[in-house]
Amino acid sequence: MGLREYVVRRILQLVLTLWALVTLLFVLFRMVPGDPTTRFVMEYPTDAERQARIEELGLNEPLYVQYLEYMGQLLRGEFGDSTHYREPVSQLIFPLFMNTVVLMFTALLIAYTIGILFGAAMGWLRGSRFERGGIVAVLMARSSPEFWVGIILVWLFVFQFGLFPRSGIGGYGGELTMNFVDRYVNFDFLRHLFLPALTGAIVYLATPALLMRNTMLEVLKADFVEMKKAEGLPERTVLYKHAARNSVLPLVTVAAIATGAAMGGSVIIETVFNWPGVGREMVASVSRNDYPVAMAAFLLMGTSVIVMNFVADLAYLYLDPRVKYE
Amino acid sequence: MRSNSRRSFLRSVGVAGAIGSASLAGCFGIDEGDDEEVGEEVPEIQFVYPTSGANPDRSELGGLIADNMEEIGFEVDRQELDFDPHVDQTVGNHDFDVSLLGWGGTPERIDPHIFLMDMHHSDFTGEGGRNTPGYENPDYDELAEAQAQEVDEEARRDIVFEAQAMLAEDQPRCYIANEGGDHPYNSERLESVNPTLGEGLNGFWNFMLAEPADDVDQVTFGYSSDIISLNPMQDLATPDRQFIRLIYDQLYRFGEEGEPIPWLAEDDPEIDEDGTTFTVQIREGHSFHDGEEVTIDDVLFSYELFAEYSPTYSVYLDPIEEMETDGNEITFHLSEPDATFTRNALAQIYIFPEHIWSEIDDPTQQDDEEYIGSGPFQFQAWEREVEMQLTSFDDHFEPPVMDTLIRVPGDEDALMDQIEAHEIDMLGNDPTPTQADRMDEDPDIGLATFEAIGHAKLAYNMRRDHMDDVHIRRAISYCVPKEAFIEDIRGGMGTVTHSPIAPVLEDWHNPDVMEFTEDLDAAREELEEGEYVWDGDDQLHYPAE
Repeated sequence: MGLREYVVRRILQLVLTLWALVTLLFVLFRMVPGDPTTRFVMEYPTDAERQARIEELGLNEPLYVQYLEYMGQLLRGEFGDSTHYREPVSQLIFPLFMNTVVLMFTALLIAYTIGILFGAAMGWLRGSRFERGGIVAVLMARSSPEFWVGIILVWLFVFQFGLFPRSGIGGYGGELTMNFVDRYVNFDFLRHLFLPALTGAIVYLATPALLMRNTMLEVLKADFVEMKKAEGLPERTVLYKHAARNSVLPLVTVAAIATGAAMGGSVIIETVFNWPGVGREMVASVSRNDYPVAMAAFLLMGTSVIVMNFVADLAYLYLDPRVKYE
Repeated sequence: MRSNSRRSFLRSVGVAGAIGSASLAGCFGIDEGDDEEVGEEVPEIQFVYPTSGANPDRSELGGLIADNMEEIGFEVDRQELDFDPHVDQTVGNHDFDVSLLGWGGTPERIDPHIFLMDMHHSDFTGEGGRNTPGYENPDYDELAEAQAQEVDEEARRDIVFEAQAMLAEDQPRCYIANEGGDHPYNSERLESVNPTLGEGLNGFWNFMLAEPADDVDQVTFGYSSDIISLNPMQDLATPDRQFIRLIYDQLYRFGEEGEPIPWLAEDDPEIDEDGTTFTVQIREGHSFHDGEEVTIDDVLFSYELFAEYSPTYSVYLDPIEEMETDGNEITFHLSEPDATFTRNALAQIYIFPEHIWSEIDDPTQQDDEEYIGSGPFQFQAWEREVEMQLTSFDDHFEPPVMDTLIRVPGDEDALMDQIEAHEIDMLGNDPTPTQADRMDEDPDIGLATFEAIGHAKLAYNMRRDHMDDVHIRRAISYCVPKEAFIEDIRGGMGTVTHSPIAPVLEDWHNPDVMEFTEDLDAAREELEEGEYVWDGDDQLHYPAE
């Protein structure tokens, strides 16, 4: 089977998976008690106003009709209007999604850079006090709940040292712009980004560090490492140029999946730091029975995971000539 | 007040419980083990109350009430629910025996009408209706209707008092407390704040009169949820209305004491003798934010717009038969006398610019992205979940003291921290007792205390046979530790109440109604009076046939 055929088959699988995901989400959300008008029951003077709204939203139609309509909408590339905010879902979610991507990308970048370097060093210095201490530290970071790490950082950097702002994405009262550069490339934004990104980095660091250490241990047993050492290359060069490079492969998959999942945002980090991201909105929309927003948010996250997985598989082809698709 | 420890309170509850059961063993010792003398068991009570995530204070109260109910012989099915499922199951589908919920109190609700009419009249018992208990009492309905039509204040007060007394005796609901609260603010950046009845720092008169310190050019205000919509032709929640009224004007505003005062209107409305014609003159020379003059045509247009499209407000305009304008004067002809018309209609309908909204095909869509109104604040910019920016409208006849107001939504705890970190200036939410203690220690943070007019309450589902017995309802009302709720659970914030009309509304609150406070002996006596009996396991039964 050639590469092209492989890719086509994977794409078909991908579409099938997405369809199953959408259907599952659709059914699950409508099984939850209540509907988008529940929140306002006490605000409607009589039930007639509420019924009118339910009809307007088409929620009085049989479920299969609603489902077909929703699928039709999706195929046209539309997510519909938020029932809560009454504006197009895409318009609502896009800025939140950007905020999430910036935050999570920064956190993952720090986590994987430090994690890989640190994990390689731990593998290289196997049995040393550095390795043992490192493992304990990494496991502690991994088992700490995100909100706890966040609160500790807030206590330290905001209330003790007064170095960083408590929450939000920028100082208040500035220009509200959607221009990427104006929005994110400025000192004030970076100050606000620091604590939530650091929280994410600490929590996500363990996976690459431990994984890297384990694969390093395998690679270090290989003959070519001995060869390189015998060539008289400096230890640092052997470690980072030769051994680490060959250990990094499994991390590609993990990093890709983590990136995909991260696009759904971290509800907890976003809540602790009042970060206007898509994760928080996802939870809020579920509790409001705002089906279109909840569906879109979950779909976005699910799609990211599935697509990134696919990307990781393809990346293997180029990174490791031994991999063939059959 | 806050020094009361919860543990000592729980201990005292335990003691009361122990005494209760000891005295019971004494009284009913003779019947013990003799199951043949009792009838069918009283059905298990389906008690719906909030999860601690939805409302920690009321959740704790719910647990205590359930404990007390079990103590006097009820079996209790405890159902803890989040807000939406709770409302859906109880208010929407009437699937409950007892439900612990609250009702918010804004100045619009200072008039007793909504509490007496919508919440207890038999016309409102349908699914989603505000008469959640399904209370149907023709004598009561008469009172509720009479107060709405009585234009003479004194006479109306007498009826309102009588209605409250009847509600207390019948106990379709158990009114527990007006929760009140403290809203924090930064006293270094604000010279003064102005908390209002029922709303604290969310109040209109706070945004109007709060005085920033000399070097402060913008005031940030935090609240735990974002605005849903600023369009009254859509579903609105209370926080939405609190900002709509900054941007748009009404003919009358609720003043600081909750009385309607002339606003866009020149003077009080002229009401004819039989109370069916209201005539209002508007101010001349006032303009919208875009410079167009506010005319009587805008007023007429707005009333027609709201009558046709607004899900929340159209009902207040139902009594209008005809409207006519003349010069700067508008006259409303009503189909019957309406004592609430000034408060409900004249003081709540916002004046929208005809030149903008007449161009909009579907007013339920917000097509005016600049939100042009004529109110004391002018809309500038808004990004959802980030911030909303308003500035003072300097050409207003009563401009606010501050220049710029920034509204910041977010997680409540994060916002509390931001107040403590001096990042925002005021907050429209209550701190927990622990947070309040911490804020007390900071000399730059003040707490603005205010009374509530909304309440926490139990609703009894009178559609079900066993709940249709007043003795059962009263017995459960005796299980509610109202004092402990305020003093121990809420750290002293709030006021115990026995009536739908808050004690702080002195003109309307009847202080002499039947009172129910935690008293398990009285609860048992009430059940005995209803001829209920207990079996050997102290479970409550109907009497033997």
